[in-house]
Amino acid sequence: MRVGTDITEVGRIRELMARHPEFRSAVFTPQEIGYCESKRRTFEHYAARFAAKESVMKAIGKGWLQGIQWTDIEVKTLSSGEPAIAAHGTLIQAMDEKKITSFSVSLSHCKAYALATVVAI
Amino acid sequence: MEEKEIFEKVKEAIVDALGVDEEEVTADSALFDDLGAESLDLLDIVFRLEKTFGIKIPRGAVQLGILAAEGVKEEDVLVDGAVTELGAKLLREYMSEVKPEKIKAGFRLDDIPLLFTVQTFVKMVKVQLAAK
Repeated sequence: MRVGTDITEVGRIRELMARHPEFRSAVFTPQEIGYCESKRRTFEHYAARFAAKESVMKAIGKGWLQGIQWTDIEVKTLSSGEPAIAAHGTLIQAMDEKKITSFSVSLSHCKAYALATVVAI
Repeated sequence: MEEKEIFEKVKEAIVDALGVDEEEVTADSALFDDLGAESLDLLDIVFRLEKTFGIKIPRGAVQLGILAAEGVKEEDVLVDGAVTELGAKLLREYMSEVKPEKIKAGFRLDDIPLLFTVQTFVKMVKVQLAAK
């Protein structure tokens, strides 16, 4: 079992999205974009998802510079309202390598910061 | 494009992304330790460089770089996310801009960004410009 955690500044996410329009689709899946855009505090939700992706990378010990695609780590919202990690492509490959079968994720955010903690099981 | 010109543009991207003074940014400044970058800053810098030079920096660039040597298999250079003796040797060669004592067997692949210097980005840009 391994743990990963991350804190992300909401303002930095807002700024990066304004500066690099490609940031949104390079980092978030269409489902994540749809979810965040439907929320009133859009950027807090984006920041929380970004923190979750960073946390997953920390938990597996492999980051985007080592070839994990941001969009291969997807944060879903279950019908219970609980967040969950859906793995795709490069993340599935990394999970196989590290013998990880699933993730547990917890998110928290306020106006300034978003936090995520991920446990890789 | 000359290396000096590439360096100046890389430097400008880093100064703008990190809000540091120009004179702080030298070829061997380490992004995290010397310039105080965070992971989101790296993403910002990569996007800026891709735009400035009209290139795409592959996300597995460093790992691909150390695996590029002929006949090298992943298990020869990496065990449980850490580099082997051979992996360390290839990584030192590939990241020749980094002080060699920073890269020893056991060095973790996910810590590679901590080694990044301004020159690392200059090299990445050069490789991608040559491949254009």
